[in-house]
This record gives sequence, C-alpha cells and structure tokens, in this order.
Amino acid sequence: MNPGAWGWVVLGFPLAGSLLIAFGWRVLPGRLAGWLATGAVLGAFGAAITMLAGLLGLGAEEREVTSTAFAYLSTAGLDAGLSILVDPLSVFMCLVVSGVSSLIHLYSVAYMTSDRGYDRYFSYLNFFVFSMLLLVLAGNLVLLIVGWAFVGAASYLLISFWYRRHTATEAGIKAFVINVIGDVALVIAAFLLFNATGALDWAGVFTGAQDAFVRDDGTLIAACLLLLVGAFAKSAQLPLHTWLPDAMEGPTPVSALIHAATMVTAGVYLIARAHPLFEQAPTAALVGAVIGTVTMLFAATVALAQTDLKRIIAYSTISQIGYMVLGVCSFAYAAGLFHLMTHAFFKALLFMAAGSVIAAMSDVKSIDRMGGFRHSMPFTHATFVIGALALAGFPLMSGFFSKDDVLAFTFDRGGIYAVLAVGGYIGAALTALYAFRMVFRVFWGDPVPEALALSRGEHPHVEPANPDTGEPEDNDVGFPGPEHHVAEQAWPMALAMGVLAALAVVGGAVGIPGVTATLEHFLEPTFADSRFVEEIPSDTARWIGLGIGGVVAIVGIGLAYRLYLSRYELTVELRERLPRVTTFLERKWYFDELFELAVVRPLARLGELGRTVIESELVQGVFVEGTSGIVRAGSSLARGVQSGYLRAYALFLLAGAGALGLYFLIASV
Amino acid sequence: MLAINLSVVIFLPLAAGLLAAFLPARAARWIVLAAAVGVLAYAILMIIDFDSGAGLQWRTDRAWIPELGVRYSLGVDGLNLFLVALTALLWVPATLAAAFGEWERPRLFFFQLALAETAVLGAFLAQDLALFVLFFDLMLVPFYFLIGAWGRGERVQATTKFVIYTLAGSLLMLAGAVALGVLATPEGGSISFSIAELERRSVPAGAQGWIFLAFALAFLIKMPAFPFHGWMPDAYRATPMPVLVLLSGVLSKVGAYGFLRVVAPTLPLGTARFQELLLVIAVISILYGSLLAFSQDDVRLVVGYSSVAQLGFITLGIFSLDPKGAQGAVLQMVNHGLVVAALFLILAVLAARAGGSESLARMGGLAQRAPILAGVFLVVALATLAMPGTPNFAGELLILFGAFQTHLVYGLVASAGVALAAVYMIRLYQRSMHNKRGDAVASAEIGGRDLAAIAPLALVIVALGVYPQLVLSRSEDATVTKVHEAGERAAAVQGARGAQPGQRVLPGQGAAPRQGARPGPGTQVPPQGAQPGQGAAPEQGVPVRPAVPRGGDRP
Amino acid sequence: MDVAWFVVLSAFIFCAGAAGVLLRRNPLVILLCLELMLNAGNLALVAFSRAHGNGDGQVFALVVLVVAACEVVIGLGLIVAMYRRRIPVDVDRVTELHG
Repeated sequence: MNPGAWGWVVLGFPLAGSLLIAFGWRVLPGRLAGWLATGAVLGAFGAAITMLAGLLGLGAEEREVTSTAFAYLSTAGLDAGLSILVDPLSVFMCLVVSGVSSLIHLYSVAYMTSDRGYDRYFSYLNFFVFSMLLLVLAGNLVLLIVGWAFVGAASYLLISFWYRRHTATEAGIKAFVINVIGDVALVIAAFLLFNATGALDWAGVFTGAQDAFVRDDGTLIAACLLLLVGAFAKSAQLPLHTWLPDAMEGPTPVSALIHAATMVTAGVYLIARAHPLFEQAPTAALVGAVIGTVTMLFAATVALAQTDLKRIIAYSTISQIGYMVLGVCSFAYAAGLFHLMTHAFFKALLFMAAGSVIAAMSDVKSIDRMGGFRHSMPFTHATFVIGALALAGFPLMSGFFSKDDVLAFTFDRGGIYAVLAVGGYIGAALTALYAFRMVFRVFWGDPVPEALALSRGEHPHVEPANPDTGEPEDNDVGFPGPEHHVAEQAWPMALAMGVLAALAVVGGAVGIPGVTATLEHFLEPTFADSRFVEEIPSDTARWIGLGIGGVVAIVGIGLAYRLYLSRYELTVELRERLPRVTTFLERKWYFDELFELAVVRPLARLGELGRTVIESELVQGVFVEGTSGIVRAGSSLARGVQSGYLRAYALFLLAGAGALGLYFLIASV
Repeated sequence: MLAINLSVVIFLPLAAGLLAAFLPARAARWIVLAAAVGVLAYAILMIIDFDSGAGLQWRTDRAWIPELGVRYSLGVDGLNLFLVALTALLWVPATLAAAFGEWERPRLFFFQLALAETAVLGAFLAQDLALFVLFFDLMLVPFYFLIGAWGRGERVQATTKFVIYTLAGSLLMLAGAVALGVLATPEGGSISFSIAELERRSVPAGAQGWIFLAFALAFLIKMPAFPFHGWMPDAYRATPMPVLVLLSGVLSKVGAYGFLRVVAPTLPLGTARFQELLLVIAVISILYGSLLAFSQDDVRLVVGYSSVAQLGFITLGIFSLDPKGAQGAVLQMVNHGLVVAALFLILAVLAARAGGSESLARMGGLAQRAPILAGVFLVVALATLAMPGTPNFAGELLILFGAFQTHLVYGLVASAGVALAAVYMIRLYQRSMHNKRGDAVASAEIGGRDLAAIAPLALVIVALGVYPQLVLSRSEDATVTKVHEAGERAAAVQGARGAQPGQRVLPGQGAAPRQGARPGPGTQVPPQGAQPGQGAAPEQGVPVRPAVPRGGDRP
Repeated sequence: MDVAWFVVLSAFIFCAGAAGVLLRRNPLVILLCLELMLNAGNLALVAFSRAHGNGDGQVFALVVLVVAACEVVIGLGLIVAMYRRRIPVDVDRVTELHG
C-alpha cells in the first residue's frame, strides 16, 4: 500500500474505536473500552509509522502523496474532495499526535477507572484523535475546516465532560464559541484564497497564489490574517486565549491531550502548512510573530501569579505556543515544529504528573494547599522535575534545544525579529521561574496532611464534591469517582509518564546544532519552496544562543529557589508592596472582564432589546397589527351591511332587481 | 427511466386520507402512515432514477382551463427533487409521532394531515404558476384546522393571526401571478401560466418591480423572515408537535423554493433590482433571529427563531444570485428541514421528561440517564449550528461563498450569524441536557417509538454530512439556470454603478443601502462589471437570453 | 283582451306583495306576501303565454307553483319551530345573523 492508503488507515483506527465504544458501550465489559481506545490510537500510531516508512521509500521530490476518496463539495466551480495529503509535515504531525495520544489514553485507563462516564470518555477521546488526525491530513481547505471544527467539538465535549457542573459547561461553551469564531475566520480566508486562485486544495492554492498575488498583496494579507485568527483561536493566542485556562475544568488527561500536546498546536501546524502564503505576505507573518511574542510574555507573567496548578500549566502552554508561533512566523518552520514536538512531550508529562498530585490531593488544585510531595510521591516528583527542566530549557533537555533553536533563527532574521528574540529570552527566564515555582511549592517544603497520608500508604479516597460551591455532588460528577489514582500505585499511569519523561530528556537529540538535523532534513521536502530554506544561522551562532538560553534557565531556576523556597517571605513582601500588579496578574490582565463587557453583555442586551422592544412594537405592532387592522377595517365595512334584519335584505334584493330591470329598460331603448 | 406518475405521488396521501375518513379511527392513522411511506418510496426511487442532465422529468402536462392558459403541469428537476424527498421523508416521522398520540376526532386529524401532504407536494411539483398558487394556498387549509382545532393554549388567536397574515401575502401573490401571466403575453399571443413559458417571455421592466415585491412578500411571510415573522411565535407555541415538525420543516421551504422556481427566472430584472433589499432582509433575519434565539426561554421559540436565522441564510444564498449561493440554498433547505424536524421531535421528548414543561429554565440534567437521547440530540444540535462536517456546513459554506462573491460586505456580516448559531444551539443543548437537574426533571432514556421517528432523520443528516454531493450533483444544472439571468443583470447593474459612481442606474430602489454593497478595495469585481455599456440594458427590459452555462468544470 | 291589462294587474299584485314583505313584521304575513309576488309572476307568465300562443309560459307557471308550495312548507315549518322554541315571531327581533 502506498502512504496515501495508510493515511486512511491512520484515520480509520480512532474513528472505528470511537464508534465501536459509542455504540457498544452497553455490552463492553468492565474497563475494556479504555483498552480498546488505547489500542485504536496505538494502531493509528503504527499506521503512521508505516506511512513514514512508505514516504521515506520515495524520493525527496515525490514525498507529497494525495489520495481522494470521493467528491465532497464539487459544484458551481468549487471542487473539494474528501482527500488527504501525506507529506513529511503531515506525517510528522500524525506521529506526534498519535504517539502522545496513545500514551495519554494509557494514562487515562487508570486515571479514569472509577469514573462512571468511563466509556463515554474514551469514545470522546478517540473521536478527538480522529479529528486531530483529519485536521493534519486534510488535503484541502474545506476538509481542514471540517477537522478543525471536529476538534473544537471534541474539545467541547471533553471540557464539559462532567456536565452537571456549571463551571464545566460554561467553560465548554466558551471554548466552543471561540473555536467557532476561528472556523468562521477560516471560511472567509478560504473564500479569499479560492476567489483568487480558483482552487481549494493546498497545492492549487499555493501555485495559484504565486500568480494571483503580488508580494504583500492586500487581499493576501487579509487572507493570512484570517488564517491567523483561526490559528490563534485554536492555539489560544491573544486575544482569543481566554477559553484555554477555563478549559482546565475537564479531566486532567484531557488537559494533557487537548490543551497541551495536540489541539492547541493545530494553529502552529496551520501556519506551517500555509507557509508559502505567509512568505508572500510578510506583513501578516510579522503580525503573527509579534502577537506570538506578546502572548508568550503575557502568559508567562500570568502563570507567575496563578495558584491553580492546572491553570499555571495552561498559561505555560499559551506561553510556549507563543514560541512556536514566533518560530513559524519567522519562517523557521523546522524549529517551530521541533518545539511543538518537544513541548508535546514535556507538557503532557507535566499535566500527567499534576494529575497524579491532584488525585493525591483529592481534587484540590491550589498550590497554596500543596507541599512536600517529594517523599511520598518520588516517581511523580522525578517526572515533574524532568518536565519542568525541559520546560525551563535546562541545558541538554529537549526544550533546551528546541526553544533556543526558535530564538536563534528569529535572531538571525535581524531587524524587528531580533527584538522579538530578545523578548523570547525574557520569556525564557519567566518560564524557568514559574516552572520551578510549581516544583518548589508543590513537591518541596513541608509535607501537607495529604502527603503524609500518602506516605503512610493510605489511598486517596473522597466522595466527590463540587470544588466551586463545596456542595456534595449526588453522582459521578466532578472528579473521576471516589477512587483516585496516583502514578505510584497505577502502572499504566507510571508507564505513560515514564515514556514521556524519557522523551522529554532525549527528544532534543533530533536537532542538536552541528551534530544532528534529523527533523530538519525530514521536513525539508515540505519547506523546500521556502525562500528562507538556505537562510539558517551558523552552528556557532546557534551554540551561542544555546549558551545564553542555558544561562537564562539556570538563573531563572536559581531565582525561583530563592523566591519560592528558601526565602518565601520575599515573595509575600513583593506581593504586598505591589498590590496592583498582583491583582492585575491574578485577574489575568482583565481579559475575561473585557470580553464580558465588550461582547457578552452587549449581545445579551441586544437580545433583550429585540425580545422586549422590536418584537412587540415593530413585528407585532406594526406588521401584524397593521395587516390585521386592514383586514378588520375591510370586514367591518362588509359587516355593516349584514344588519340581520330580514326586511333590509329584502329591500336590497328588490332594489337590486329593480336596478337591473331599469338597466335593461334603458339599454333596450 | 422509470415511469413515475407524479399525479399518483401527489394524490396518494389525499386518497388515503379520504379512505381513512370512512374507516374506523384505529385504522385511519395507519392508512395515512402507509401512504406517507408510499410517497417516501416513490421519492427514493426518484432520487435513484434521476438523470442529472435531463432537465424536467416525469412530466405530466394536460390542459386544465384552456381559456386562461392554465395547465395541469407537473415535473421534477434538480431544484425540487430533494424538496419533494424532504417532504416525503418528514411526513413519515411526523405521522408516526402523531399516530402514537391520542387525538380527538382522529379520522379528521389524519385526513387533514394527508391533505396537507398532498398540498405541499403539489406546490413543489407544479410547473404551472396557477397550479402553484392553488397548491400554495391549499396548504393553508389543513394547517388552519390542524392548529386551530388540535392546538394548545391560545390556539384560536394564533390561528387567526397565522391565517390572516399568510393569506394577505397569498392574495398579493395571486395578484402578482395574474399580472405576470397577463403582462408576459406577447402581442397576439395566447396567455400562458406555464413557468417554463414565462421564463422565455418577458415582462416590462417597470412591472417586474412590483410583481417581484408581491411575490417576495408572500414568500417572506411564509418563511418567515424578519420583520414578517409576527405570526411565528404564537403559531409555534400553539401548534401540536407533529404538525409543528411539518410547519417548520417543510412549509417554510415552499417560500424559499418559490423564489428559485418562480421569481428569479421569470422576473430577472425585478430580482436584480431588489437584490440588495432582499439581502438586507436576509442579513437582518440572520442576526436578529440568532439574537432572539439565545434570549428565549421557551424551547420551541429557540428553535423557531433559529429557523428565522437559518432561512435568512437561505435567502442570502438565493439573492447572492450566484451559482454557489443558489446551490447552497437548495442544500440548506433540505438540511434545515431535516434538522428542524428532528429538533422538534426531540423537544417533545425533552418536554415529556421535564414534567411537560417547555421552559428551558425548568429543564437541565436530562442527559444523566439518557445517553442515546443525548447523543442524537448532540448530532442534531451540531448540525443545526452548521458545524463543519455536517450537511449544514456544506450548505452554509456555499451560501457564504456565493454571498462573498457578489456582495462581500453582506457575506461578512452574515458570517457573524454562524458564530451566534453556536451560542444559541449549545445553550439550548446545555441548558436542557447538562447542568443541574431541574425540579420536575425525571431523566429517562428515549423510548423506542420516539427513537423510531428521530433516528432515521439523524442518520440521514450524518449521511448527507459525509456525502453532500448526493444533493449537489443532482441539483446543479437546474439551480444554476434559475439564477443565471438575474445574476447577469445584477452584475451589470453593479458594474455600471462601479463604473460611474454616484449615478443612480435604477430609480426608486427601496431601503437598500446601495453604498454598502459596492465592492471595496481588494475585492474582485465580477468580470461582467468590466463592460460598462451593459449597465443600460436592464432599463430597456430587452429579453437577452444568453446560453446557459454549466456551473462548474466538473469532470 | 289586450295583454297589457293582465300585466298591469300583475304589476299591482307584485307591488302589493313587495310592500307587504318590506313593511310587515309578522313572518306569516311576509310569507303570504311572498305568495302574492309569486302569483303575480304566474299571472304575467300565463298572460304572455296566451298572447304568444304557445304553452311555455304555462309550464313555467306550473314550476313556480311547485316551488312556491315547497317554499311555503319550509317557511311554515320555520315559523312553527320558532314558535315552539319561544322565539318571538317577529322578523325584526330575529337578527342573530347580523355581522
């Protein structure tokens, strides 16, 4: 089979898994659904590897295989088939998505064991993987939008998985609506591109754009900016990021899967995929790079002030995606995607470890309540530290190579990009600071009662309660069941975390400057048409960058040690000295309030206005009353004649007959 | 090619209804249901046997009132094929749902239901304008009784409003139809109401305007579109659920269908002239319907106002006067019929589990013991909000592409409606299925009878989502032809306007903001606009019939 | 004898009947007056029949007689029904069909 056919197999596995569980949940015994789902995603991973092998078997020029199943939307000049595109970029994404997803599935098998929605959960999870794979394999814009929206729907379902909690459903609707805004932007962008190039498939759009647009063409910039809106909605970049922290209402493995490793990187993928357009519209690319940098700094500062463990990691994700966006918008595609991959490893790992801790804390997520888990949860601690080191860019960890690769390329572009790269280094320091704030606050320090209980070998067990209201929940809603699983006691969790920890350590090996460039070479066919393919910084420059990055990371970690562990009173004092800054950061730069004020409330007001004023006054008043008024006036005229007096009727009759007779008399004369 | 007699298709339900009226009440419902299934079988046969390139098929054409040129003329082409199929499909679950209910005077009820199917099928199949008007008005009769006699709450007032309002529109349409037939008659020629013949003839430019408005008003009221939806809230609240499925799912489409079948091809000048007025109405309907849909508490009205928005999209697609938009409109008519029917059937199930209440505030937590119900509802809700991958997305994508192509600004404003749709549909889903359980809520799985009515609809929705081409490839030829000339005219008008800014090409154009539609910088001006000389053509009313192009370059 | 005399007499009877229908309030009398009008018509028909010398008019007159008989049956039935239901036997007080 050629790689194109394997692409369909990649899609088929998770779809089949999802449908199988959705329709067979009643007959699937025990925890079989989880294993089925895990197997399906592993199957997709295997098929993706086969696809990779098939692709490597082709010459570098031929590594772009399309396969069309049937015509999907093919009418009135449009032509979009149900077709997939297999090239190094999509294969790379397939591998990352299915690989990390299979580990997260494995983790979930244990983590969600006592949840009553176990089967539903795995059906959703498989559907999500299917959607994500569809997104990256889509051979044209229409199918991309389909995958894009499926991913959004899957994330909505998973965020509001515990659907009887008000907070979860609110978070779900927020995520869904922001994602739909992204979809709409993509539709408009697709039209602008279609209108100019007459094509919807990637190759057709790219070649068509060469002829249709001049460099920095106004329409092209508009199309690229709309693509960016779509990408930013999905990748939680400013100002469309507000859904991601709220989305932490979902189960923790979902946060790891969707909100760290795969879905949020879709925007980065889109920009990389559409790179010929962005290179032709550098202004749009610059806008993207600037927003990426600003988002990275913004999210890093907010992460410093949050206390909810999962939200800190969520803001960290927003910040890290800022790096990737900066990378791909600086035309350093391989670097951006390199960071995407390593980030998927260490961020999924961090979420899994955090999930383990939160389970031990019985669903308490505030880091102010945590502490001293170092001894009671040694494995979780070790993996979390590895994740944090990789996140902070500690020398020789995976994040070290990938992040500094992005910054070295950005710096090399010169001009304003150099300024952005400096911003990137500031962000790196903040990253190290908040990463180790988590490590020190959660795992070090004095053990909290939960940690002590765990070291006595007691299982965390609690009847679920709504953490926001404190009310006891009357069923399975809120946290996965009464039995909470930590990595130390459940081998599937430990296995998944162990593999990810190993990858987080050695994942950088595919792109060590001057030594290996595996990823870069592999992705080369996709980006061969890039004007920047030869413009790479020298190895020396890259190592200097790495050196700076390493120093920044170590300084950041040291600062964190001082601020959050050895001299915690400094932090407290800092907070008291700068109350405004603290509140500003704690309220996340007031973005939620801004949206509430600028979008949500006016719309609600308008709806209310329509319901009370326009409906009753205009629609009912003028139109309905007007029509019925005319009818009533006409009928009252007719009614006046119908007096009910027999003699009046007889008079009319006679008068009519008389008039008729008179007429004939006159007419005959 | 199978020999299908369309008269049999139309009058099969009526015959069953008459038969049912003379049989025991117990048998009546099943006879009417059997007729609906029979019509559905015919419709499926038609879809399978349809020849995409052959124009009007299975024609029946007999003289009826020769003195007035009225013929009994029926036929199927790409435009009405799927609307007939939709009618046939929706009548089955609606009749099924009604058959399981208890009604006073059941024989009469099911007779009216059958009569309504005959009238709707007739309106879709008529190829003669007089016949179309006849069936269009005949539809009102059974629905008047169905709502007035078997409705709930303030049914009398609601029915009166509904009938008076729609009848007012119908009368205008009757006047328009007569005027169209008379004014189109060439000197020395004989009068004809055949739609195909009217397409070939032409009406003076001045008269096209007011005839267009008469038709437009009738169709907009029927849909309903803002601001003519005044009858909708009361009627929707009062209508019994199985009837509401048909009222919203099928009846609303007849108006939109009329635009494509009658108005655009026979009145190209009028259509081009009032294009922007209709686009404004469409865009306002989209936004206004969406806004109201998410401030309603009554679940019926959430769906009702969402229909206003969805029909706004369909109007937008038709009046973009672009092949893509028109194709999208046809697809979206089918889709909307499917989802709205499924939604209303589901709402009935929800209300039964919420202690009979149809208020959103009293629902909630219904998903708890009802995973199948939740799953089906989710599929339908996602389809309603036009999530990509559902047929509604394919329809809305085409509509928006068509609108962008000819009127970018309207298209952009309308696309906000897509995002708003997500808000109101997810809100409806969430407030009923999710969140805390309402006081009177007893969550229970959907029953087999309800599932038998809803699941086929959901399956068709999913199937069309995977393969919307089923509709598109069959409807393309007919649909593209319908809007072709009006589109040319409109483009010429726009081109002339673009070439000589400030000069009014057409006098006395209603409230449409002409400035808003002028393509801004960076927009591709349609190629027709490059010939400024064409701008004078619409004034003369010269019947120019260019060769009809095939819409796309399909293999 | 000249046909004009018959027609004049017929017109007088018709006017008398019409005046009765318009002016009287008792349905019984109205019915009688209606009979007068009908028979005025009959008289004219028979007169013209004789004047023209063929029997067509007389056939018409016979038809009118039959119709008149039917009408009387229904009319009297209505009046009896009104009387039984204690509805006032006065056409000015039976106006329920007003719009």
